[in-house]
Amino acid sequence: MATAIPLRTQLLRLALPLVRTHGFTREALSQAAVGLPNHVQPLPDSAVSSLFGDGDEARRTLIRAWLDEGVEGIKELRRRREVLERMELDMRLQQQQETQPKAPFSQVQTQPLESERIDIRHVLRARLAYNEPVLAYLPEAFALLASPVSGLPPLDPTPALNHAATVASEACYAAGEKTILMDWYTRRATIAAIYTAAELHQLVSPPTASAFLDTLLAESKSLGKKLDDVGSYSNYIFRSWAGILKSSGAF
Amino acid sequence: MHRTLKKLPIHRCFSRNLSCRFQGSTLYFNPTTHISASTTPENLTPEQRKVVDVALRVDQAGELAANWIYKGQLRFLGNDAIAGPLIQEMLNQERKHLEVMNQLQLQHRVRPTLLSESARIIGFSLGAATALAGKETAMACTEAVETVIGEHYEDQLRDLEKVTADHPSIALLRAVVEEFKIDELEHLDIAVDNHSQRAPAHALFSSIIGTGCRIAIKLCKSI
Repeated sequence: MATAIPLRTQLLRLALPLVRTHGFTREALSQAAVGLPNHVQPLPDSAVSSLFGDGDEARRTLIRAWLDEGVEGIKELRRRREVLERMELDMRLQQQQETQPKAPFSQVQTQPLESERIDIRHVLRARLAYNEPVLAYLPEAFALLASPVSGLPPLDPTPALNHAATVASEACYAAGEKTILMDWYTRRATIAAIYTAAELHQLVSPPTASAFLDTLLAESKSLGKKLDDVGSYSNYIFRSWAGILKSSGAF
Repeated sequence: MHRTLKKLPIHRCFSRNLSCRFQGSTLYFNPTTHISASTTPENLTPEQRKVVDVALRVDQAGELAANWIYKGQLRFLGNDAIAGPLIQEMLNQERKHLEVMNQLQLQHRVRPTLLSESARIIGFSLGAATALAGKETAMACTEAVETVIGEHYEDQLRDLEKVTADHPSIALLRAVVEEFKIDELEHLDIAVDNHSQRAPAHALFSSIIGTGCRIAIKLCKSI
């Protein structure tokens, strides 16, 4: 039996497409009621307050729902990549059985994999594209999230940091990145910084945002390679000294 | 001292039959990975998800530390005719454990501990220091660590019973933890058979190492 979706959730879903025309406003939430079956009137303001909070709290709820929808989009890419990977694995197995039954699985030659196209660049570009229809409203939305509900501090960076961290983490999973231990943190911190910079760039210059994102990703890759080289060199020096100390009879 | 062994008599039955028992971890070394070794349930309650997260975070850190303890011991006891091959064998098994835990971290989307670098450094230092103090002390270290790890895996199996999700990955996770628990208790047996209890101040030493391990487990659960 299908579970009934709560009215609040239904209204939020219906309000999301209205953000393009109404912005992140109480009006968008009010108009969402028109999309409900057998409902022709917008919600009165008191009902919006009752369902989504008073004043700007209702707008914050709408912004958070919109951000969650963006995360769902990234998760959808992950699901697509997982399905593609499974199909490609089956195809490789079949190909191995038909043409090279004695060849090791890892040596079976295949076409470039479709699933590999869903990489970090693809995922972050898709997330930036999700911003495009509501770009005009985003600066105000982010400012609203950063404003504390009451009193101090003057600006709360937590929502912005959460947004960047969530996008980075979901993007890494969606792209099938296999980072473990401390690399897990450094990779996500890097992607969060890159995405934040690209998103800020998008607010100023939307047409060049994707190219800017690509440049940042390419630079981070080259920096990562340089750091790996430094790490390998340091390891080499450490091993050399360890060898010298060992041969000297100290240990 | 053999609190764990008394609590877990079953491991002895298993340990005599290594080749016969099912090894869930082998699924993680197969390129045609089964769904149980490549997906995570999406319908876990927050409490169940926390159980899986905490378990894997601690286990991964523990296996990492164990790897470095044996590496530290091998550095100074590698040439010992008896201890060298034994430590090497245990290190090889811990390497496999760590590889599986790394894959489980990716599979279940678990945030790793922030203390992994500390686990490496402390593990290596502990292994090296005990090896420098002698073969018996190194074995006493193994005995103390593996006792705590065996108990920890046993507690974890109990916690995982609460994760009632009907997903093959959870059953596989339980099988892997069970398998690793048995492996760790075999290391404990090896240490005891190789005179761990002849180490100087054995009881005090075991107590200090055991307490350190328990603190590390607690820290890795949340950090």
